[in-house]
Amino acid sequence: MTTLEHADIRRILPHRHPVLLVDRVLDLEPGVRIVATKTVTGSEPCYAGLDENLQGSAYAYPSSLLVESFGQTGAVLWLYSAATSGERREGTLIFGSARDVTITGSAYPGDVLRHTVEIDQLIGDNAFMRGETWVGDRRIATLGSVLAVVREELAAGTGS
Amino acid sequence: MSEAREKHLDELREIVAEVLEVEPEEITETGSFVEEHEADSLRAIEILARIEKKYKIDIPQSELPRMENLKAVHDVVATQAGWQD
Repeated sequence: MTTLEHADIRRILPHRHPVLLVDRVLDLEPGVRIVATKTVTGSEPCYAGLDENLQGSAYAYPSSLLVESFGQTGAVLWLYSAATSGERREGTLIFGSARDVTITGSAYPGDVLRHTVEIDQLIGDNAFMRGETWVGDRRIATLGSVLAVVREELAAGTGS
Repeated sequence: MSEAREKHLDELREIVAEVLEVEPEEITETGSFVEEHEADSLRAIEILARIEKKYKIDIPQSELPRMENLKAVHDVVATQAGWQD
């Protein structure tokens, strides 16, 4: 069983505060599956400047960030697996797309998101992943297909 | 047009339409994915991935630039999958 702490994650992902949205890897099976956590706190930038009189539901963790956190978790699995098998992935890591995403619950400050991600298909510098996000024993999201890519050339005007 | 070819074109049209988020009828054989449906390289790789999965084949990424419309996609896949359409 492979576990990774935050310092390890920072060596794998190029993301940094405040957009590095993976805290700890609980388990990682190279090329197959990863389980990682992201703790949601009240000091997240997404809660800054909210009106004082909002109801509790206003503090639901944004689904866009949840999907990003899921994608980063998948990227840890992909890039760690590539590195352990001696492959080089050089270039800029990009979130490609998310399809078949179903949000069935919410997370709030104090909750721990637990992403379970599997690699579905690898094509060169493109990784298709799928999985679920849990808070405790509640599944709050199912992600059918999330695409992460690494691109060398990002010249302006050439499209994504 | 052979029945097999028609069936394959329909299957491919379905995949392309789903990725490009348009109705299957909007995908014509020679209509450019990029010019008519604003496809980009990410959509292209999604189309390729779904085709590889469905037909259990490997398509070299070097074929991607050729796969600019439905007819071209069919030609590439036919070669890789050994279709006699």
